Amino acid sequence: MIDRTIQPPVSETGKPDMLVPDTNRLSNGLPVHILNAGTQEVTRLDFCFDAGLWYENKPLQAALSNAMLQEGSLNYSGAQLAEIMDFHGAYIQFAVDHHQGVISLISLNKHLPKLLPVVEDLVKHSLMEAHEVETMIRRRKQRFLLENEKVKVLCQKKFSSVLFGDEHPYAQTVQLKDFEAITRGDLLGFYACHYRSENCRILASGKTDPNLIDLLDKHFGDNDWQGLALDSRRFFVQPSSQKEQRVVKQEAIQSAIRIGRLLVKKDHPDYLGLQVLNTLLGGYFSSRLMANIREEKGYTYGIGSSVVGLKEAGYWVIATETDQSYEEATIREVFLEMKKLREELVSEAELYRVRQYLLGEFVRDFDGPFAQAQSFQAVADFGLDHRFYEQYYQTLLTIQPADLQALAQKYLQQEDFYTVVAGA
Amino acid sequence: MIKFERYKLDNGLQLIVYPDYSTPMVALDVCYHVGAKNESPERTGFAHLFEHLMFGGTKNIPDYDDALQHAGGENNAYTTNDLTNYYLTLPKENLETGFWLESDRMLELDFSEEKLNVQKNVVIEEFKQRNLNQPYGDVWPLLRELAYKVHPYQWQTIGKEISHIADASLEEVKAFFYRFYAPDNAVLILSGHVDPEECLKLANKWFGDIPNRNVNKAPIPQEPRQQEFREMTVERDVPDTALYLAFHMPDRRQRGYYVCDLISDVLSNGNSSRLYQRLVKEEKLFVELDAYVSGDHDPGLFIVSGKLAEGVTIPRAKAAIWKELQHMQQELVSAVELEKVKNKLEANLVYSQMNYLNMTQELANFENIDRAERINEQMVIYRSISSADLMLQAQELFQETNCSQLNYLAKK
Repeated sequence: MIDRTIQPPVSETGKPDMLVPDTNRLSNGLPVHILNAGTQEVTRLDFCFDAGLWYENKPLQAALSNAMLQEGSLNYSGAQLAEIMDFHGAYIQFAVDHHQGVISLISLNKHLPKLLPVVEDLVKHSLMEAHEVETMIRRRKQRFLLENEKVKVLCQKKFSSVLFGDEHPYAQTVQLKDFEAITRGDLLGFYACHYRSENCRILASGKTDPNLIDLLDKHFGDNDWQGLALDSRRFFVQPSSQKEQRVVKQEAIQSAIRIGRLLVKKDHPDYLGLQVLNTLLGGYFSSRLMANIREEKGYTYGIGSSVVGLKEAGYWVIATETDQSYEEATIREVFLEMKKLREELVSEAELYRVRQYLLGEFVRDFDGPFAQAQSFQAVADFGLDHRFYEQYYQTLLTIQPADLQALAQKYLQQEDFYTVVAGA
Repeated sequence: MIKFERYKLDNGLQLIVYPDYSTPMVALDVCYHVGAKNESPERTGFAHLFEHLMFGGTKNIPDYDDALQHAGGENNAYTTNDLTNYYLTLPKENLETGFWLESDRMLELDFSEEKLNVQKNVVIEEFKQRNLNQPYGDVWPLLRELAYKVHPYQWQTIGKEISHIADASLEEVKAFFYRFYAPDNAVLILSGHVDPEECLKLANKWFGDIPNRNVNKAPIPQEPRQQEFREMTVERDVPDTALYLAFHMPDRRQRGYYVCDLISDVLSNGNSSRLYQRLVKEEKLFVELDAYVSGDHDPGLFIVSGKLAEGVTIPRAKAAIWKELQHMQQELVSAVELEKVKNKLEANLVYSQMNYLNMTQELANFENIDRAERINEQMVIYRSISSADLMLQAQELFQETNCSQLNYLAKK
């Protein structure tokens, strides 16, 4: 008989193979990073433009001009674009974040020569026809109204403006009236300035074809769409002075809760240790918050915390949804867990478990070409490179209970935290 | 062609191994052939509640997550109307920990009143979060109740009502375990950086001595053919009025299932599809409009769901959808259009093979239908389907007496 009480031997998870992408330039200087890995004949291309919310003069400019790229260009209508992508089983996605506007194409390698002319046309010659713009605004407005019905959305929005101040691009302050105010001219202006080769980078991942660079050069290497490099813009974070805020949503059954604070960015030496501390607090299934608030008390289906490193600011956020009757108790327990981390040393056993878990996650973050590319991009945006991950790996191996306590004492003081609740 | 090995242990446990040496990870998946459709109408939500209890530990391993995390692993689970699936991923060096953990909870759980009470609470909060506190959160329960009068697909996996979860007793929980959680009612699937021979050895070592429990499932009451048009209207505090049409369709073992799937793709897969181009873009009657198959393993539903543009009435929206459905019944889909949806399916198959974990879930799903080998047969079936097949299937499918219509009106 086997002894089922004894865990089979476990070996420490090794460091993943971190691939450094091969960086090339097209004839016009546009950088192309190629991450060649994987076994299937598939390529993902991310065209990243400095066209995020950071650069808006008017709310919705970035999101709508990005979305409009799929609605028709000089040589292809929106319907034709969709037809060609679908016929080749390819996916084209459009997304914006705080800093970038991105077009992503996922395709079998063999179809790229047929698809890239279409992508070229939509990037360089978008029409943004008036009736299409109108339809897009209407659809986005409907989606906005739907999202605003959700307590977690209301809570997240309020939380972002409390943390950064309404004037900061990281605050989510879009209002219904912004959908009336935005014009086709606003979108065309933004597009003409931001979707240009001077503001573009391409990231290719997958089992890429040796001819990929030539193919990209043919379509994107010319000097006919350069534009001007953008001035860097600065905004100042202006957090609210009121630490506790409430958004009222009539008849909500559950309340959404966000508890958080501003924090250091990825380039700060404390950032790596904070990732470990955060995991312990609320970053994985066996975290202290989950163990206490879900598994012991049953107040919620889930509670989690994250340390978020944006390009210009970092923050810490603890998020959950709970029945209104558990609201106060949940908030109290969150702060109690912070207090414990400040006052008591984490046990070796718990630290070992978090370390092993994070080592496993680390391997997952580099598993496969797309994951590799994503991990590369996550630090490249900050002007960092794979050395960041080498340091992270060292931190995982060497961090001690006393280091975590010191971080908790520095960053987990109750008076630094904002509490935002959305509910009835 | 997706190559995998199949074995069967003496106690009835099926073992499937799909190696993919491009990853340093392994996935271990245990699929139990029990879902919400095996529940009694008075105790709905039980399979899903049980899924939560499976993480409460065993006598030998009191803390499942602790042990898994020590090995760098991560895990999760889900319950559908047809099955309950548990999966974990580990760095390949620590594969055996996965066998140890999953075999021990198949052997015996450590039940307690206290654990049950906490998980009941968690599931009740999940019920509120998913069904009650979300705009459109009650669409599925309403639609299921309208379309199914006999088959247990009439309730969702989370359960029909909170009281069913709140009233569950420890005795019932134990009985459920011994009735359904058994090697002869499960399949063990491995994928990623694994050696099939080693997996067989480890499976015998850890799962081999779990007794066969002679699982004998009660037959599922099958839905009789719908004879009349059904309609239901509700009013809710939501931004847009929505319209849902549900049609009964063939089960997953029938060729007709695949034909319906292609019909839904022609109608609505991708921005070039008919419903999107004609009714969303051109006529602007809807802000969103989709057609899809529910994917249930017994006969499921073909759904058309749309959110109406402002000022559009239900009758007008309904007429526009039916016009497109009738179009499918009266005219052959062009060769190019059919080629397009097939190409897309084929490309998706290549994309899906880039993800070893996703492959275990696909295999589990087909094995639960009846056999994992279907994963390779599906493309052959799709390829063999003609435009005439689509037309004939559409004629059978889109009949008013086979339709349940839900009008979900926005309160003004």
